[in-house]
Amino acid sequence: MSIKTPSVPDTPEVERETIEDRLYTVKYSDSGESHLDVKVEGICEEKCTNYECVNACPADVWRAEEGGVPTIAYENCLECGTCRFACPHGNVEWEYPENGNGVSYKFG
Amino acid sequence: MSETPNYDNMYDAIVVGAGLAGSTAALTMARDGLDVIMIERGPSPGTKNVFGGVLYTPRIRELTDFEDAPKERYVAKKTYSMLSEEGDETSMSIAPSSWREEPHNDSWMVLRRDFDEWFAEQAVDAGATLITETTVTDLIKENGEIVGVETDRPDGELRAPVVVLAEGANSLVSEAADLKQQDDRDNVAVSVKEVRKYDREKIEDRFHLDGDAGLAAHYFGDGACGDAVGGGFLYTNKRTVSIGVVYSIEDAARTDQTPDEVLEEFKQHPAVAPLVRGGRMVEYSAHAIPEGGPDSMPELVHDGAVIVGDAAGLVLNSGIHLEGTNMAVESGYHAGRAVADALAQGRTDAAALASYETDLRDSYVVENLDHYGWFMDTAAEEKEFLFDDLPRALGEAGDAYFKMDNTPKDEHVSEAKSRILDATGGWLGAAKKAWKFRKMLS
Repeated sequence: MSIKTPSVPDTPEVERETIEDRLYTVKYSDSGESHLDVKVEGICEEKCTNYECVNACPADVWRAEEGGVPTIAYENCLECGTCRFACPHGNVEWEYPENGNGVSYKFG
Repeated sequence: MSETPNYDNMYDAIVVGAGLAGSTAALTMARDGLDVIMIERGPSPGTKNVFGGVLYTPRIRELTDFEDAPKERYVAKKTYSMLSEEGDETSMSIAPSSWREEPHNDSWMVLRRDFDEWFAEQAVDAGATLITETTVTDLIKENGEIVGVETDRPDGELRAPVVVLAEGANSLVSEAADLKQQDDRDNVAVSVKEVRKYDREKIEDRFHLDGDAGLAAHYFGDGACGDAVGGGFLYTNKRTVSIGVVYSIEDAARTDQTPDEVLEEFKQHPAVAPLVRGGRMVEYSAHAIPEGGPDSMPELVHDGAVIVGDAAGLVLNSGIHLEGTNMAVESGYHAGRAVADALAQGRTDAAALASYETDLRDSYVVENLDHYGWFMDTAAEEKEFLFDDLPRALGEAGDAYFKMDNTPKDEHVSEAKSRILDATGGWLGAAKKAWKFRKMLS
């Protein structure tokens, strides 16, 4: 992946939002239980070294744990589906939050 | 959460999802006199939807009083810019005078939250029923034929002769029922977007817009989305600007910069930063986009069901053309007509519904997918040239060509040429590349 774009003279400073700033703008309704999981815990522990779910997730839902199953902050989920495609082991258990819960966009 | 009334077999067709494809199918069928129920998982249509930002409207304009639709700005100008990581920008701008006249080339910036709700209402006005906050979890099959859906409501089974699957990019129901396979990750892109709010005047001054005119800006090269196959975009709305990046999940998975970080880098590029400075981010969103082209289109017609829109993989990326909303609408329209014809014959088997696929194949939708199907694979093969070497070479060539010093211009011209030829691998390389990408502009 690219290194940081070198700053060019006279380029205006643009606000650099953190993922927390970003997620703060999103309206959610919590379903109270995770709609995401891993299918087989052993696959993360034994086969996965590079946490591609963590790299690809745009919402900081998947978080790497040392040598184990990633933690899943399902409350952040934007329901984009990226992780279900990203996991090279097909080990992401992915459902929609029940009854319309989860993300609710105001603009889209 | 209320009890679901028993709608079993009260409807001729069930539509899964009230996005563009689903609402078009429901509207088309309801106008044909069918009893249709649309099942939407969001609190209202549009609340779960994300797109880049342009709605293409030729068919919608035929089907609705489109003047009443909630729109932002029409596309008065398109720009395409190559950005290098070092900060170079090489751009082309297109603003035909005809785009400023009705119907504005049928290209409008909209916000899905507003538009999808309005569009679903058109189907409801035509007689369709809409239920929200309800997720279809499975299909009901009997003797190999699809006869209804399971939902997450209590007593949530609902039967009808035909199901239209308009469930979007994450087609869990179609996949679970073996109507399609999950796409490979190199055929799916991740897109992240932020909507930033400004004063209306600020937007019009900054982008040289007036009235309802708007700008659709596209960015390529590794200044736009890092070392990945993809690009950046910027669309002007009335009071907001949408800015985002979209790139292959294959690349997103293999690199350790997350999509939101890639978006931050894009915003810092000197070609982009002045366009998005200030303002306030009012929403962040993300979605997967099926970009696999014709080869990853699933079987569209099944016994008792058809697949439309994103679920059918109907997204076009030719490098120049970035379309999907028009294709979703077109597929919903043809599917709706095919269902009405099949039901008129009292049949719902795949053969009876086959005119959906035939009509879609005869339309521009599959024609365009077939014509440009080569692009995404070729772009991935030529990633380094297309997204890294070329944007830098163009920037350097521009620098050389216009150089102010005390040498004659022919030296500058030959220096500019050599920058481009270095990147393409000489004249022969340039010819090969030109041949490889010849269909991009045809």
